[in-house]
Amino acid sequence: MLGVTADPPAAAPSAPNIANCMLLVDRLSVRYGAVRALQDASIRVGRGELVALLGPNGAGKTSLISGIAGLVASAGSVRFDDKEITGLHTEERVRLGLSLTPEGRHVFTNLTVEENLRLGAATRRDRSEVAADFDKYLTLFPILRDRLHQLAGTLSGGEQQMLAIARSMMSRPRLLMLDEPSLGLAPRIVAQMFEYIQLLKAVGVTLLVVEQNVTQALKFADRAYIISAGAIRHEGTGEEMRADRRLIDYYLGG
Amino acid sequence: MDYVIQQVLNALAFGAEYALIALGLALVYSIMNLMNFAHGEIIASAGYAMYLAVALGIGSPWLVAPMAIGAGALAAVLFERVAFRPVRHAPSTTGLLTALGVSIVVQNLFTLFVSPRPRSVPAFNELSRTIFIGPYAVSLLQILELAVVAAAIGGLVMFLKRSTLGLAIRAATREFSTVRLMGIRANRVIAAAFALSGLLAGIAAIFIVARRGSVDPDFGFQPVIKAFVACVIGGFGSLSGAVVGGLLLGFLDVAIVSLLPQEYGGLTDAIAYALIAALLVVRPEGLLARRVELGDKEI
Amino acid sequence: MSQSAESTAPPIGLKHRAGMRPVVRSLIGALITALPVVAIGFLIFAFAPAYLVRVAFAAYVNLLIVLGLQLFMGNSMVANLGQGAFVGIGAYSVAILATPVAMKKLSIPHAPFGLGQIAIDPLLAAIAGLGISGIFAVLTGLVIARLSGEAATILTFSLMMIVHSVFIHWTDLFKGAQAFFGIPQVVGLPSAIAAAVLGIVVARLFKDSRAGLQLRASAESLLAARAFGVDVWRLRLIAWILGGIMCGAAGILYAYFMGTINVRAFHFELVMTTLAMLILGGLRTVSGAVFGSALLSIVLEAIRSFESGAAIGGITLPPLLGLSGIAMGAVIVLGMTFRPRGIFVRLELDELLRRWLLPPAWRRGRGRT
Repeated sequence: MLGVTADPPAAAPSAPNIANCMLLVDRLSVRYGAVRALQDASIRVGRGELVALLGPNGAGKTSLISGIAGLVASAGSVRFDDKEITGLHTEERVRLGLSLTPEGRHVFTNLTVEENLRLGAATRRDRSEVAADFDKYLTLFPILRDRLHQLAGTLSGGEQQMLAIARSMMSRPRLLMLDEPSLGLAPRIVAQMFEYIQLLKAVGVTLLVVEQNVTQALKFADRAYIISAGAIRHEGTGEEMRADRRLIDYYLGG
Repeated sequence: MDYVIQQVLNALAFGAEYALIALGLALVYSIMNLMNFAHGEIIASAGYAMYLAVALGIGSPWLVAPMAIGAGALAAVLFERVAFRPVRHAPSTTGLLTALGVSIVVQNLFTLFVSPRPRSVPAFNELSRTIFIGPYAVSLLQILELAVVAAAIGGLVMFLKRSTLGLAIRAATREFSTVRLMGIRANRVIAAAFALSGLLAGIAAIFIVARRGSVDPDFGFQPVIKAFVACVIGGFGSLSGAVVGGLLLGFLDVAIVSLLPQEYGGLTDAIAYALIAALLVVRPEGLLARRVELGDKEI
Repeated sequence: MSQSAESTAPPIGLKHRAGMRPVVRSLIGALITALPVVAIGFLIFAFAPAYLVRVAFAAYVNLLIVLGLQLFMGNSMVANLGQGAFVGIGAYSVAILATPVAMKKLSIPHAPFGLGQIAIDPLLAAIAGLGISGIFAVLTGLVIARLSGEAATILTFSLMMIVHSVFIHWTDLFKGAQAFFGIPQVVGLPSAIAAAVLGIVVARLFKDSRAGLQLRASAESLLAARAFGVDVWRLRLIAWILGGIMCGAAGILYAYFMGTINVRAFHFELVMTTLAMLILGGLRTVSGAVFGSALLSIVLEAIRSFESGAAIGGITLPPLLGLSGIAMGAVIVLGMTFRPRGIFVRLELDELLRRWLLPPAWRRGRGRT
């Protein structure tokens, strides 16, 4: 009865405790030559959470997730699913279930939609499951089914973004990092994109989403970090940030 | 009529050889941005493997040919591992010079350990005979070469379209770092591309040996120069461009030689290169250029 | 720029240097780079045996070619494989113009245009040779400057192949594949040294000039340079012409020193060797051209003596054909592995020296990098 403090409800965590962390980034720094892009950034992403990474242009958002993915050299430590992955190659991190959908989509334009998706599952050996997933994501993104044998380069921006996400999902990641999924998309498509992201969360994928579209991102995020001038400035639940926009306005200029 | 058919066959055979070598160059170039000057030495390695096989008493073409192809692939992978991997991220001139260095080293290794003089490799002598297709007398070697090259290109296309590694190679020609994001190891993709280029070079080496009957340290030099030109004509980095460029160059060579009056025979090269230069001035990006997309944020 | 350094009395000599006009600074930088070139050259000229003087002469001619290559390639970053054509044109120009008539009766009795009946003063012939190289550079440059990347490279290569096959085919004028002999031997090592120093100065002044800077900017981003109104084609053309004339000059010196030339000397091997020298040294800098040439020349010569069967401590080694090639290739591969961008990556020798020797406060005048 009394005297027993209940754990905070899992649905709205303030910050996940270390034991329940999918991703634990500790004082990560990234520099390009003399330019410091990121300084001592520490973030956490709990299992099943949708965390947003917000910040203005050039704040270091892409540097942070590129550092997490191992695409750029970084100092500091990254733990993924209770495993130290600092120093692992990008490929190895992906194989552990840490996937990144890069900004600007980067679909393989000279390959067909189908071939793109097949490459997404390149690391998997469970053929029948792959086939099932293939079908699953074509059902989720029906437009891709219509375009299955078209070159990815001929797809529209929104379609390419769907393909990029589906391609990442084909590797069955346990954590999916999306870099600016709404960038350059028409407003109607942006709303659709966020619905898809919510769907992914609903099926149990942990998500770390970099966004400039703050309003949309906060609508769905469990928690969010504000990053500016290469450092994490603020951390809070989506709810808090929706309620009090002053911080957002301060760092992101309204 | 006979003469025309013979010349067309000649052109196709030369073109097929150039295409095969150019394909290897284009494969490596398209994913690594490396103009592999050492490709000639991959061909030469295959050539000397055949020499070694014959010297060891293995005379059957059925054994010598696979050895040549294997040696080509092995040499290509070895060159990549030893010399090209350390300069993978360096400017393209660095790769070019490294390749040149490898080429010089390997050529001189053959000079030092085998001989600066040509060594005879009689394994494929019986291919150089004439057969009759209907009323037409044609060279068995040329027919065989066309068939094998067609099969090799067909096999390559199948590999690139069907296998995961093949898909990864094609994807890497545009988006190398994104391929790594699929969990595919960069080293494997590059090694595979080199191995494929070595396989093709090995096949080319067999036909060059069959035609010449011997190997020397310069063995791969001339064909690779031609293949480079073929690549540029077709559009550097484009695989179909390499094939088209190779075939075109074959026809160009044969056309110049057969149309040019005897006393101007020495100007064959001059005319060929003048035509190539003219083509490049009109279409600097080559016939089947790779489209370059500007403006994407690099990751 | 209006307040020149001379008007204000500098408190310290070094401060004066820091505030110098850029042209003067480039010139001094070039001379610092040239200093070892001159010193080594004259030491060899004064004390070394005749065969070493010949080796040194060849090295200085190669240096001049490498400088010409650097001038175009290092600024425009378009790979050039055609320098052999210019060296050949320079050499054959003076061979045809300056060789005594009596000699020509033996070597090219059927020379067209009455060239067999005339022989002009070697100096005039040299000037004509430079002119011919320059005209050839203008004509080819008009086309090459418009292309970029591999297409431009293959075009330069085609150029060399065309010129080479004309040399070989037109036996009445060039003696074809046979040696062209009887050229007056009118230059010695000092001329080559002087030419190399001049080459260093020209290459450096061009690199540091407004045109050079703009051309280097265009190499980083062609689109951006164009957007800023830089006429990339014109700048490339200028660099191509200057580089071509320098290579032509190298050919002229070579012909006047050797007295006998062969078309083989102006082909692949020359192109590959000089290209290796430049990239090994660092193609963006003039110092790189100088030190790359020196390094490879020394390595090549050191090993060449082994190859022909050297005697060490009374033991005569058997000739090992191919050894020098292996060593040269190994130097290239290892050099690229450990210094992928060459010895001098961005800064020139004098800029590095200033950085090392001067305290930070006096470094204000450090050159553009």
